[in-house]
Amino acid sequence: MSTILKIFVFPAALVIMCLGVLTILGGHITPGGGFQGGAMIAAALIFCLIVYGLKDSPFHLSHDFLAAIESIGALIFVFLGIAGLVFSGFYLYNLGVDIYNIVPVAIKNIFDYPDPTHAGILPYLNFAVGLKVMVGLTAVVIAFMGFKEYEKGSNESDDEFEELDEGEVE
Amino acid sequence: MITVYIGPIILGLLLGFVLGTRIRDVPESGLKFNASVYLLFIIVAFIMAYALGPFPYYIDTPFASGFVAAAVGIILGKLTFGRGTKPQKTED
Repeated sequence: MSTILKIFVFPAALVIMCLGVLTILGGHITPGGGFQGGAMIAAALIFCLIVYGLKDSPFHLSHDFLAAIESIGALIFVFLGIAGLVFSGFYLYNLGVDIYNIVPVAIKNIFDYPDPTHAGILPYLNFAVGLKVMVGLTAVVIAFMGFKEYEKGSNESDDEFEELDEGEVE
Repeated sequence: MITVYIGPIILGLLLGFVLGTRIRDVPESGLKFNASVYLLFIIVAFIMAYALGPFPYYIDTPFASGFVAAAVGIILGKLTFGRGTKPQKTED
């Protein structure tokens, strides 16, 4: 890639990431949400991966990190769902809002989202979905880039074997 | 009086922090993103947050607090865990 792109892309990716985070945080009252924000953050990471390459990317996305974030996102979602089941009898019941008035006030306060809308667990669900989507989409691109490198490596080794075979025949 | 809503600030800081911890310098690439890049980023982030206004439909601060929290989180993550120069491992 050109030097201009290499200088520009990293700071631009940081700004795109912040916009993605903002999209996740506004998901309960504006268009957007966990998937869209997560896709925006993934786009920033993919932008870096394409311009700098898999090895030289300034974002070190190891397999362990991707697996951990994906698991944390899924676990937060499941935990919020089961919390609703435990305290109200309904899976994914919005404990922070409690429209049926069946949850103790202390529990309602724990799951309340401190902003003017008091949207309950919805922003937390968006957060969990954002983590999962960010990692999922990035992992797909990393896998494709990894396969490409693997393919390149295997082609080179095939060529070496062919050269060796030809040498033996001669 | 300015009211600050803590929800978007905490979640924004957390997400930004997670992303910031992943930043590494890669000496082999020939590019080095030093403090000036991050200074520029934080200035641009503040300008963008001010242009966005108190998003989303909040009337607390004159700028998007979640956006600024994410930017600060990225910088904090970079400063705490993102200082290594480990090269990217492509296979296990």
